Amino acid sequence: MNRRRLLREFWKQRSLQSFTLIGMAFVFIFAYLPMFGILIAFKDYNISSGIAGIFTSKWAGLKFFLEFINDYRFGNIVYNTLIMSFSKLVFMFPLPILLALILNEVKNRPIKRIVQTASYLPYFISWVIVLGFCQIFFTQTGVVNTVLLKLGFTSKAIPFLTSSKLFLPLVISSASWKETGWWAIVFLAAIAGVDPSLYEAAEIDGAGRLQRIWHITLPGIRTTITIVLILALGNMLGGGLGGSNFEQAYLLGNPANNGASEIIQTYVIRVGLSDGRFSYAAAAGLLQSVISVILVFTSNFVSRRVSGDGLF
Amino acid sequence: MRASKTVRTKRVKLRKTVEDHIVNFVTYVSVAIVFLVCAYPFYLAFVLSFNQGTDALLGGIYLWPRKPTLQNFEQFFTNPDWMDAFRVTVLRTVIGTVVTVFFTSLVSYGLSTRNLVFRKLYISLIIIALYVSGGVIPYFAVLRSLGLVNHFLVYIIPGAVNLFFVLVSISFFQGIPKELGESARMDGAGELKIFTRIILQVSKPLLATIAIFTAVGQWNSWYDTAFFTQSHSLRTLAYMLISIINQTTNMQNMSAASAAALTASLSVTSLSVQLAAMVVTVTPILVIYPFFQKYFVTGLTLGSVKG
Repeated sequence: MNRRRLLREFWKQRSLQSFTLIGMAFVFIFAYLPMFGILIAFKDYNISSGIAGIFTSKWAGLKFFLEFINDYRFGNIVYNTLIMSFSKLVFMFPLPILLALILNEVKNRPIKRIVQTASYLPYFISWVIVLGFCQIFFTQTGVVNTVLLKLGFTSKAIPFLTSSKLFLPLVISSASWKETGWWAIVFLAAIAGVDPSLYEAAEIDGAGRLQRIWHITLPGIRTTITIVLILALGNMLGGGLGGSNFEQAYLLGNPANNGASEIIQTYVIRVGLSDGRFSYAAAAGLLQSVISVILVFTSNFVSRRVSGDGLF
Repeated sequence: MRASKTVRTKRVKLRKTVEDHIVNFVTYVSVAIVFLVCAYPFYLAFVLSFNQGTDALLGGIYLWPRKPTLQNFEQFFTNPDWMDAFRVTVLRTVIGTVVTVFFTSLVSYGLSTRNLVFRKLYISLIIIALYVSGGVIPYFAVLRSLGLVNHFLVYIIPGAVNLFFVLVSISFFQGIPKELGESARMDGAGELKIFTRIILQVSKPLLATIAIFTAVGQWNSWYDTAFFTQSHSLRTLAYMLISIINQTTNMQNMSAASAAALTASLSVTSLSVQLAAMVVTVTPILVIYPFFQKYFVTGLTLGSVKG
């Protein structure tokens, strides 16, 4: 009875349902099929067997996982993934907040606008262009080395792009350059929402500018900071707020800095799509997916606790 | 007497403390640095692209071209490979954006119907799909079985329904007064007609937001070209740039002496073409940038409203 009513209702909405079902078809094909596809990590999968092969190929158990864990690069790759994610989060997270606070102190409107506009422009260009900029600035004969040599700060050109040691600073600084301005928008919006009468009251009480920032602005945007931090934590392995770990590691990585630039995601692409070892690559990728899912759900749980609202 | 007194009290109130001066100084120095750091790379790329290639490799160009020329762009625009890439990039951007805007808003509109049967289920499935992924290898397997690998449609179809924008647009469609559609429905118009003729007409800010973010994403994308296509005829500007940048970087990373030797002999053209290509790739973004700025905040804050 109830089911029949539901069906009748469904039929009545058939046009709207079909709009939605188009979307659900996309969701099924491009999101859920690949999720079932994780099975190939446990199977001897041959790419030519297509989607059906995901279900029909022979089980291989944990063979590929053990192979990955026993690979001589396993420790290095996992370490690179974690250290890159963690240090990007730690160094990059405070920057948009700082920029927002600074921009908020700029009382000259045109200057504020111009600076803000310039600061989020990099967010909209491709990482490939950023790679090109890195080349202009950071190669041995690039602008930075030329200037450093001329000023006598260094006697030898610094191999910014081709040193494992300098890879993390390179990744952190280029991602900061690209993403700080964009995320500052969020914090600026939050600052704009702080009650102006609080500032007036503080001023009358004799609070200086720094005191007002510390005692009014920062507490006023605490919730926003918490929420954004939780979002960034949830996507930590992907690269924090901007989610740029893969693009950076792939584009800025090269044979010379491979010891620091090979992360799980680039490794999966290399052994999977380049070498054609699909099951093995899927097993390596699954490790990252599992950690990511745990992070997302944990941070969502924490978010519900802290702010009373989660992402889902 | 009286007047001077008010002036004095005003001045007392406006007088800046030492702290004010220090804060102002630090602030303006900081924003000046931020501005330079953000804008200078673009500026320098433009300058270098208008400088003769061999000369640019010698370094020392910071503010304006030393040997101005349009040669680099001439080489770029007369090179059939780059022109093919340019065409593919424009095509995928235009087609991809139209398709994505249409399907994303269509799906979102369907989901915005409050009494839609299974609505909760649909939305949960979408949210899970947003946060859980099977990884790139199974995804590739799916694309391959669909015949999308090495096909132009791999740029269009997988992204045709943008789940993030589907979710954030729901509340926008719910904000449109029901009466708008009702009268047309009375007149016997179908839902699709109501959607295209009425709903889309009043949703332009939303459509513009989706269109801009999609177009920028399409224009900048290199990932799908690199991993899901092999054919030369599907190469895009961003993808072509990667290989040429790597090529010239290797050259420049050699010690200055051997680089100079190489410079003399070969491939100086690759750097000049690369710079021209970078400028061509980045210019459309710079040109539309002022127009889409007002949609940024919509794009960012849309995410905080849930349907």
